[in-house]
Amino acid sequence: MPLQPKLGGPELVESAPLALLRLLQLADSALPIGALAHSFGLETLVDAELLTLPALPEFLHGYLEEAGMLDAVFCREAFRLAGGNGETFSAERWLEINDRLGAIRPARESRAGSAALGQNFLTAVLGVADCRPLRQAAEAVRHARRPVYHSTAFGLAAGALGIEQESAVLAFLHQGTASLISACQRLLPIGQTDATRILWKLKPSMIATAARSRHCGIGEVSSFVPLLEWGAMEHPALTTRLFIS
Amino acid sequence: MQNELPIADSRVGHLQATLRLAFEQSAGGTFLSASQQEPPLRVVRAFPLEDGAALVHLHNVSGGLLGGDSINLEMRLGRGTRAQVTTTGATRLYRPRAEAPVTSQTNRVIVAEDALLEYVPDAIIPFACARFRQRTTIELAAGAGLFWWEVLAPGREAYGELFAYHSVELAMEVLALNRPILCERVRLEPKTYALESLARLGPYRYWTTFCICRVGPETAFWLEAEQRLRAVTWELNRPGEALWGVSALLAHGLVVRCVAREGHSILSGLREVWRAAKLLIYDREPIPPRKLN
Repeated sequence: MPLQPKLGGPELVESAPLALLRLLQLADSALPIGALAHSFGLETLVDAELLTLPALPEFLHGYLEEAGMLDAVFCREAFRLAGGNGETFSAERWLEINDRLGAIRPARESRAGSAALGQNFLTAVLGVADCRPLRQAAEAVRHARRPVYHSTAFGLAAGALGIEQESAVLAFLHQGTASLISACQRLLPIGQTDATRILWKLKPSMIATAARSRHCGIGEVSSFVPLLEWGAMEHPALTTRLFIS
Repeated sequence: MQNELPIADSRVGHLQATLRLAFEQSAGGTFLSASQQEPPLRVVRAFPLEDGAALVHLHNVSGGLLGGDSINLEMRLGRGTRAQVTTTGATRLYRPRAEAPVTSQTNRVIVAEDALLEYVPDAIIPFACARFRQRTTIELAAGAGLFWWEVLAPGREAYGELFAYHSVELAMEVLALNRPILCERVRLEPKTYALESLARLGPYRYWTTFCICRVGPETAFWLEAEQRLRAVTWELNRPGEALWGVSALLAHGLVVRCVAREGHSILSGLREVWRAAKLLIYDREPIPPRKLN
């Protein structure tokens, strides 16, 4: 999918290759935001012997249809806020979007995990790209003492940095799925080859989820992941834990 | 109290009906101060409970919701009131005619300062081909409390109907002091999205959510409450049969979730969680409807 340049302030006049490279870095698991420390409930599902290696691809497909869809819709909503180099940014709306996403996530640990990633992501991007919507967003959450979540921070940053919306949503879904597979590599007997194959085959599911999210608002999006929520809720009770969530 | 005739859509005969209930406080306890009733929903009267709360049974005189029915339930609890609302049986979502619109129920609830609503209904049972959409909005004022559960069955199991419905959408938004603390929106379409996926229900069939709130206590209280209730849900866990989980909300409450293979243990589990939570939050026992005893 081609990346479109976006005009804004002098620092935002980007070329498509530069936007692509920035997106690759923002969606890279090496970005130091702590993504690899979270399993978002998977650790409990593996511990309970519910999630096994043979079931993993189908599980991740369902995950993308539900939780992935939720994140994709919120990523888009935040993306739209960043238009016009911050001229359309509304701190009130930004807080409202994040409040709503926090209220949708019932499991405390997963919610806190996403909030930690969101805050770290925002800080990391502001450290390398000082642009107005991100500054405004960071100031709004700091002032209101409210959390910001990973999908909304990612969408906002992508919008502010002139990255094309479809690519941003796909990249977010891709990095989230890759992160879960990475967690599974530490929880299940999965080798590099299997992990690569699973991620490769899930790309159509990511594309389908991103496509569905185009026509869904944050007031309509649904997510039904009861087993994963159970896993995330009960994670604090595990006697031995590799992950924060 | 007023009894009014329901409004029927003259083109197709689909029902649009409202049940409005208002509770107020007197020296003798909470009483049902007003109700507007349009069939099929009925309330005969409010029964006083030993703790001064008012108990109301929601009757559905048609035995369930028909295809295209549109039901509005509005409940307003005045300052300091306490009400317990339950159903007289499961909410059956009948098989609709093919051309019938989606059956819908809208619940709008306002709980004023220091009031408490306990909404403890029976399960929702969607029959084959049913299409149902429920929207619930609950506003909690300072000091207001809420115990609200929903149980979704897979269908008429005795008839061999498991996930034979077309779609069920349940949306609930709980606002405390005008800020959302819980937004749930689940949409189940068994023919389109595999419910047996491990990301969804896996080997389980029933889904339950139980929202427990009291506006006021700080985060530390709810973290402690989560831990204490986890001891209860942990005991209820029966891998392969039922899984229970609990978590603190963003603020002002907890949510408990359960997935179960069979329905029989859910209401007794909910009752145990309800008891533990009410003791923790209100320092008193709930008075469950006799059907839960």
